[in-house]
Amino acid sequence: MATITIDHRPYEVDDGQNLLSACLSLKINLPYFCWHPAMGSVGACRQCAVVHFKSAEDTRGRLVMACMTPVNHGDLYSINAPEAQVFRAGIIENLMTNHPHDCPVCEEGGECHLQDMTLMTAHTQRRFEGLKRTHKNQYLGPFINHEMNRCITCYRCVRFYQDYAGGTDLHAFGRNHQIYFGRQENGQLKNGFSGNLTEVCPTGVFTDKTFSRRFVRKWDLQTAPSVCEHCGVGCNTAPGARDDGKGDPRKLRRVVNLYHRDINGYFLCDRGRFGYEYTNSPQRLYQPLSATSEPLICTTANGEEKIQQPLAPGDAIACFADLVDEALHNKRRLIGVGSPRTSLENNFALQTLVGRENFYAGVSAREMALLKLSDQILQDPQLYSPTTPEIEQADAVVILGEDISNSAPRIALAVRQAARQVQRQRADALHIPQWQDASVRELESGSTPIFIASVEQTDLDDIATDVLHTAPQAIVEFTKQLTAQLHVASTPEDKPGTLEKVAAALRAAKNPLIVCGTGLLSQPLLAAAAQLAQTVACQHSSKRCALYLAFPDTNSVGLVQVSSATRNLDSLSQLLDNSDIPTTLIALETDFYRQMHTSAADKLLADVQLIHLDLLHNATARRADLVFPAAATPESEGTLINSAGLAQRHYCVYEGSGYIQESWRWLANVAAACAARAGGVEKIPQLGEIARWEHVTQLSDALAHAYPPLAPLAELGPEWNALLDGERVARQPHRYSGRTALYAETAVAEQPPPRDSDAPMNFSMEGIPFAGRDPLQTHNWAPGWNSNQAVHKFLTQVTGEIQGGSSGLYLQREPETFETFETFETFDHTASPGEAQAESDTFVPVPLQRLFGSGELSNAAEAIASVLREPVAQFHIDDAQRLQLNSGDYVRFRGFAGKFQVTVGDAAAPGCIGFITGYTSPLPTGTLPAGDIERVTSNTPGGSG
Amino acid sequence: MRIDTSLRTPLTKNIRAGTSGAVPLDDYRKNGGYRGLQKALTMPPRDISKLVQDAGLRGRGGAGFNTGLKWSFVPSQEDYSGQRYLVCNADEMEPGAFKDRYLLERDPHLLLEGMAIAARAIGATRAYIFLRGEYPLAAERLRSAIAEAESASLLGPGVFGGKFSLQVHLHRSAGNYICGEETALLNALEGKRAIPRAKPPFPQVSGLWGCPTVVNNVETLCNLPHLLMLGAEWYRSLGRGKNAGSKLFGVSGRVKTPGLWELPMGTPIREIVEQCGGGMQPGYQLRGLLPGGGSTDFLGPQHLDLAMDYDVIGKAGSRMGTGTILVLDDKTCPVGLVLNLQRFFARESCGWCTPCRDGLPWVVDILERIEQGHGKKQDLDLLQELAHRMGPGKTFCALAPGAAEPLESSLNLFLADYVAHIEQGSCPYAQNTAPLMETI
Repeated sequence: MATITIDHRPYEVDDGQNLLSACLSLKINLPYFCWHPAMGSVGACRQCAVVHFKSAEDTRGRLVMACMTPVNHGDLYSINAPEAQVFRAGIIENLMTNHPHDCPVCEEGGECHLQDMTLMTAHTQRRFEGLKRTHKNQYLGPFINHEMNRCITCYRCVRFYQDYAGGTDLHAFGRNHQIYFGRQENGQLKNGFSGNLTEVCPTGVFTDKTFSRRFVRKWDLQTAPSVCEHCGVGCNTAPGARDDGKGDPRKLRRVVNLYHRDINGYFLCDRGRFGYEYTNSPQRLYQPLSATSEPLICTTANGEEKIQQPLAPGDAIACFADLVDEALHNKRRLIGVGSPRTSLENNFALQTLVGRENFYAGVSAREMALLKLSDQILQDPQLYSPTTPEIEQADAVVILGEDISNSAPRIALAVRQAARQVQRQRADALHIPQWQDASVRELESGSTPIFIASVEQTDLDDIATDVLHTAPQAIVEFTKQLTAQLHVASTPEDKPGTLEKVAAALRAAKNPLIVCGTGLLSQPLLAAAAQLAQTVACQHSSKRCALYLAFPDTNSVGLVQVSSATRNLDSLSQLLDNSDIPTTLIALETDFYRQMHTSAADKLLADVQLIHLDLLHNATARRADLVFPAAATPESEGTLINSAGLAQRHYCVYEGSGYIQESWRWLANVAAACAARAGGVEKIPQLGEIARWEHVTQLSDALAHAYPPLAPLAELGPEWNALLDGERVARQPHRYSGRTALYAETAVAEQPPPRDSDAPMNFSMEGIPFAGRDPLQTHNWAPGWNSNQAVHKFLTQVTGEIQGGSSGLYLQREPETFETFETFETFDHTASPGEAQAESDTFVPVPLQRLFGSGELSNAAEAIASVLREPVAQFHIDDAQRLQLNSGDYVRFRGFAGKFQVTVGDAAAPGCIGFITGYTSPLPTGTLPAGDIERVTSNTPGGSG
Repeated sequence: MRIDTSLRTPLTKNIRAGTSGAVPLDDYRKNGGYRGLQKALTMPPRDISKLVQDAGLRGRGGAGFNTGLKWSFVPSQEDYSGQRYLVCNADEMEPGAFKDRYLLERDPHLLLEGMAIAARAIGATRAYIFLRGEYPLAAERLRSAIAEAESASLLGPGVFGGKFSLQVHLHRSAGNYICGEETALLNALEGKRAIPRAKPPFPQVSGLWGCPTVVNNVETLCNLPHLLMLGAEWYRSLGRGKNAGSKLFGVSGRVKTPGLWELPMGTPIREIVEQCGGGMQPGYQLRGLLPGGGSTDFLGPQHLDLAMDYDVIGKAGSRMGTGTILVLDDKTCPVGLVLNLQRFFARESCGWCTPCRDGLPWVVDILERIEQGHGKKQDLDLLQELAHRMGPGKTFCALAPGAAEPLESSLNLFLADYVAHIEQGSCPYAQNTAPLMETI
């Protein structure tokens, strides 16, 4: 610690950091542009000037840039010195010479860092009389608007895009005051983190195009803390919603980052930022549907979609209750299918309704085995799932099979920062502070050893010291050999091979990191990765090793905790096959046609009555007898457990349109209807307390008692009726406009806001905007700081924890060390694509992950849907030549629906055919004989696709 | 042959009057060429640095930093065993400067020998010449000189058949004033945007591709061969007063014989302008001068007896810079001259920091209005303010402070001219349309 004096007041700060960061941590206002908490200082904008005095006798002092000045004990500074104030206002004046005064039509207006800083410096009068420089704007794709005239040339966009995120298609062009930030030509920004430009840009050059379509000001957006539902990482988000008062059901307007030190920090991936539009999709369900207007009697014929009609919620609940009644009288069997993409509470409600023995996880046996194995691996106390800051500090990384750039993108962004760990160590040796960003990046150093084994080229290959593109089985073999190599006493060799190099790097590393996941659908790979991590842990002084396992869905880990390994979609199919008991299937947010092959799903659903609770009118909903519109993540409160085992609460941002409500509430309504018929809740103890549930926290508490690893859920988040500093938290900001006018067409009196019975939050402006002791942060907003740059006001220090502690509590897995993971009981291995071995003239189908394409919900988002490609089959160049296939050809595979466009790459794994996960149905199983590949059309000139 | 210690013009001694080509290698060697390098190869590198430091050789690019001292910041072999680089800054783009061009075009081997000595001193085995893009003749001559020297084993692997090797690469700049700033030069050489880097770390610690690097000016390096041969004492004796060595001084403007001369460091301005330059052309009076190129403060006629010496000129409120003097006469509009310079600097701003990027175009805008007779009284305060905003320490590098020097000093020295423009509503010099170089 160092004591420094700012304007005659002493402050305790961490020494060695820069003065700007120290001031912001102290909550002292000091304007800046080019500095960014995650990207450090470069000294370009000159906005954060302060006066530095050499000694108490020095009265004149010298102007210094706070961001470039390391603080040392005894330093004397003045922010308020007239010279500094005049200079800072002068910098704004300079920046404003070219900035258009278009705030009223600029989408940044109201949350613009440039506006804030201009006010802070008190620059008011324009003296520049010349012409402003103007630029032409570019088309940057469906996600980002470009308005270069607003640019103040702070360079944050290229520093984020190129330096931080590894993008190669956004540059600074030209020089002097004509500098242009853009692409070489019009076109979609290729980097998967491009959406962060909208938050990194201090003004309105890069804005969110999806938000533009239905734009409102930040002050008119209602927000609440949420968790991203588009992968297993669990990034924190702040979705913004507004009801237009005219009945448009599409209330959600955008998603922005919500800081969480240990997960997403300041950045989100593009799937997470733009995927929200599924909530507004034309496929969205807003009201209950029934296959007929009559009460349910029977199911329709095999494979046929049903004619559905809207049903009043009360009637729908009554129909549902009829079926539950029948089950209670043992006339029917109730079976529930749970989901990894919805909250624990929703799953638990269904499980309670149908009974644990009738609760099946809505994933295949193959996936369930992978999830259970992953969960079991992470029980090992030697292995731990690292936080994002820990990943960024890794000094040896081995990525096995998992394409994290596409399956856990935010983790890939963290690994990209780890690539510079060796460079950062060199900077330490030269006493160059880490925040001196440009200087550290210039340093000559070796690269952090990063080894990537994958079935195709990945977006992280550019930072890898070694890559291996090969078949899943070969990755398993390599992993095993690597483990064996670690056991060999290290002998320095003249020309070490990859194996020796990687082993040596792991042995030497202070912070080794192994990354794997379920993406390749390979249990042997997970087991081998775990054994490798155990071996690294044994040899490490701490006896621990970081192992990041990427789980596929937002609540995969949660679902595993409440599910039996043996109750999954495959075992359900078997069960239904082998019995004639009339069955009612309640499907919770599960699309069978995405989890199973069409024929298998058809067969499974053939003889059951299907009640479907879901968000979108998907293939399963189209076959259902009764459909209930379920609340999406930002429309509900619930608990999700991310890949790192962190249980997080997402809060309801806005009430879903139409009759949308949380799945658990539909189930509670049904139970209440049953109880009413039976003459009281106590008459139907089988349904437990479901009928009594009114608040989601009641379910969380029940879960905490029912499942020991979930015990922390009881402590997670405030009770619905708690008061924070005597008040509830307001979702709407202090300037929310139009609350009396919005509904004036339909009602003269002001409408009462909906009451939140799950969280101590209001759907109104009443209450406190942010509760300091609980991370119930609804938006980044502080006096004088209207943009997202306000976040530092809510942190213990810049890049530190949120005041009151990071949200979320870790799952309490029972510690257990496994001798070997290979004995894990499972299904037939050879049927798994990731585990099959190619023989002569056969191919192994391998799953490929895509940021846009592999997300079930995000694929229904308008902007994302517009960039989705057709299903592809990816071949290694040698295989393609042998089969006489060219890029652009179309092929079919016998016994497997759909046609695929051929892509050919030399980085694709030989002997494999890559299929993009999540487009429609699962991969073909087993191996694909060459003879089963049939060319449909060729892309020869004149031919058509 | 022995070289006479009475030699007073080591930089230009090989260049024969009446010729226009480069000194051929044979002639260069006959005149004692590459002996300095030969001697350097017998010395421990540290002793070379010491010798150069003792000789008081100061960087001729404009900053005047002690060359030997600059080298001494390069980490020793014990501390760092990796690659090191020597870079010759031949990006001569200072308005009014043409001294390096003369050396590059006429005696390229002098530079190459100097580079080899410097490389030997800092332990570099690779060297780059970063040459101004608009110097095609220098490029051609350097290229053939490098080839000549390589085939004679004076450069390349095994210099003089010994262990020392030096690969010299010629890099022609794409044309950008900022590349004269050594760290921007390094970025440009790496293929990055030519923007300056933050210091520390200094290039001697982390320079080209993050390796220890020394960047020296052409003229600085050309001083080394003779310094090595004839020693520090001889070298110091070349200058006047406390100054060491000789220096190329130039004069341009309406003097009788504009040109370039090798003179003792510390020669008074009057001698350079009046004796070498022949004084003002008939009908013209000297109103002021920029002593070291376009980015230095104006001096007035009262400063003519000052010695051209980094410290003396510095004390007078300007900089010796490149030592190429721009003379302003009484028939040329000082506002127009400053406008011309500011247009150059505004165009050449790299665009990295705000005061420079957005300040200089604003200055140009105001000066244009004043020059066209549309100026206002308050414009002069605004110009002062903008110049102040671009002062040292306020910007990222020295470009904008350099641009502010002629601007700020002209507002002091030629305030009456500015006021006359504003009051008269036109340029008082408008009828003086004679071209500047009419007599040349």
